[in-house]
Amino acid sequence: MEDNRSKILSEVRGMVPALSGKMNGENLVYLDNAATTQKPIQVLDFLCDAMVHSNANVHRSMYELSDKSTTLYEEAREKVRVFINAPGRENIIFTSGTTTSINLVADTFCRCLGPGDEILIEGDSHHSNIVPWQLAAERNGAVVRVIPTDVMLGRGRSGRVAFEMLDQMLSNRVKILALTHISNITGLVNPVGEIIAKAHAKGIPVLVDGAQGIVHEKVDVQAMDCDFYAFSAHKIYGATGVGILYGKTELLEKMPPYMGGGDMVETVTYGKTTYAPLPLKFEAGTPNFIGAASLKPALEFAEYLRDGEVGRALKEEEGRIVSFMTEALASDPDVEVYGTASGTGLKKTPIFTFNIKGVNAGDLAQLLDKMGVAVRSGLMCAEPLINSFGANSALRASFAPYNTLEEAQVFIKCLQRAKNMLL
Amino acid sequence: MTIKEIEQQIVEEFSIFDNWMDKYQYIIDLGKSMPVIAEEGKKDENLIKGCQSRVWLDCREEDGKLYFSADSDAIITKGIISLLIRVYDGHTPQEIIDSEIDFIDAIGLRQNLSPTRANGLVSMLKQIKLYALAFKEKDEENTASGDSEKYSVEEVQKNVIRALKQVFDPEIPVNVYDLGLIYEVKVGEDHSVFIKMTMTSPTCPMADDVVNDVNNAVSDAPGVKSVQIELTFEPEWDESRMSEEARLELGLM
Repeated sequence: MEDNRSKILSEVRGMVPALSGKMNGENLVYLDNAATTQKPIQVLDFLCDAMVHSNANVHRSMYELSDKSTTLYEEAREKVRVFINAPGRENIIFTSGTTTSINLVADTFCRCLGPGDEILIEGDSHHSNIVPWQLAAERNGAVVRVIPTDVMLGRGRSGRVAFEMLDQMLSNRVKILALTHISNITGLVNPVGEIIAKAHAKGIPVLVDGAQGIVHEKVDVQAMDCDFYAFSAHKIYGATGVGILYGKTELLEKMPPYMGGGDMVETVTYGKTTYAPLPLKFEAGTPNFIGAASLKPALEFAEYLRDGEVGRALKEEEGRIVSFMTEALASDPDVEVYGTASGTGLKKTPIFTFNIKGVNAGDLAQLLDKMGVAVRSGLMCAEPLINSFGANSALRASFAPYNTLEEAQVFIKCLQRAKNMLL
Repeated sequence: MTIKEIEQQIVEEFSIFDNWMDKYQYIIDLGKSMPVIAEEGKKDENLIKGCQSRVWLDCREEDGKLYFSADSDAIITKGIISLLIRVYDGHTPQEIIDSEIDFIDAIGLRQNLSPTRANGLVSMLKQIKLYALAFKEKDEENTASGDSEKYSVEEVQKNVIRALKQVFDPEIPVNVYDLGLIYEVKVGEDHSVFIKMTMTSPTCPMADDVVNDVNNAVSDAPGVKSVQIELTFEPEWDESRMSEEARLELGLM
């Protein structure tokens, strides 16, 4: 069995060239996957090949090269559709990232909001699922309200969102609910399906920030019944600068265009312009068509990591990593982890954010860098959540399915060494 | 020791270490042993902008030399500041402004700091030079007003007129000297200045402001010891008192 494990792990890791790289002369241990993932050779080859053999603007010209490019772009859209089980092509909009996807909804959906209306968000939100709503609220006099975490309520230190508050917070003033599938800080998987059902019972549409969720959970947007689901290509092994917005057809039809430009129009006159049908209505200008097309090999790689024998082996490995990390961090009385699953009934993904008492997170990250370990320090774009734990920065180690238990062990060993140097 | 010599000393100290972990251990130890900044120095205006970790830098002058104290919530950052302080402490503002330090590159610190921290380092250096510049300007001001003997009476007279040409009438865009509002400028042997001046009209509501402006400008003129101003409306001012430049300026010629 051990043989099989190491065979699968080395096969998987062999497909991702960056993982066998060096940093500061040491073997790279890349644990900043919540920020971005390393790319498999299939994606790298695809990008290079597409630049050479099918680089032409999409949806525009009559020549073969342009046809090829359009085909790749639309094939990637189809791949995304199948990957998240969306009903149709019109539900998949390419954007430049999760941030843009959320901004698109916040801007266009919220135009019908007025004074007194509420936008409900979570206490574990990433800045990109906070600020777009604040901007929208500012424009139309609506209010952004926050479902607090247990820490914010003084009811505990787990960092879970207190969804028991939902019944009282989901008033008829709430016009949209913006959820986080998996927090990029706590790594806790929110029960989005249940919450969406509650919101829908009151007629409230729901957006889900899936930047982390798409990597760690199998997403079926129809089963989840979310109205919008937003994620980025680069966090799931694709190119940077590409995002996806899934939206239900009837909502997307009602929403006005986000940006004006080429490709999003049907006919243009100086008097009146009519818009292209979905999804192009929301894809003004030349899209990042090669980057978007890379989603096909990227999602194929994600499926390879998720399904079958490889998927089972990596899931087991992830379980070992989560147990090891949880125990190792809990065994140090100076460590406080922001996001603990025990007692919450929630699942924990391998995202570990924490502080060591008396030690600056930036100092730790800097020493770990010298030991070849790449981790994130700072606020991780979730200032309110980090602050709620009484901290103004933290250290985060985030694992992808291609990471190994051995890497987790190296991380803990290096962390101990860094701590001893700094204390 | 000069700034260059201290830098050289640091470079030699770092050359003993053959790997980065040891260098960092040394920087960390420096950070730990750094004297703690007084709480009053940890005020917001001493916070350096552009650092990922919070850094406070305070500066005082003693006998024409600058002394720095600093603190940070990150110990590596603190160690690096302590190196900067060691290089710059006890030097004059001019020496600090003129210095171009290269020990940071020589010991490989810049390329071994994460870009966010390297930016912080640039901000720290900038702040140190800004302090030096501010103290230099303050010193020069003190020298200028305290050293009146080095100007002759004629020079002071010229300086006063130059200063008067910087004061403008609130209603007419011409300076008070060219406007002909200044009837008399007398500089005594002791560099005390007497000015007799008028306003364009006896009912000028801004008279106090103009007299104040004149007083401030002349007091600040190099070599001036004291200023006395007499306001008069005898004889009354008229347009013929303006200089040719002023009349040209106002399109009266």
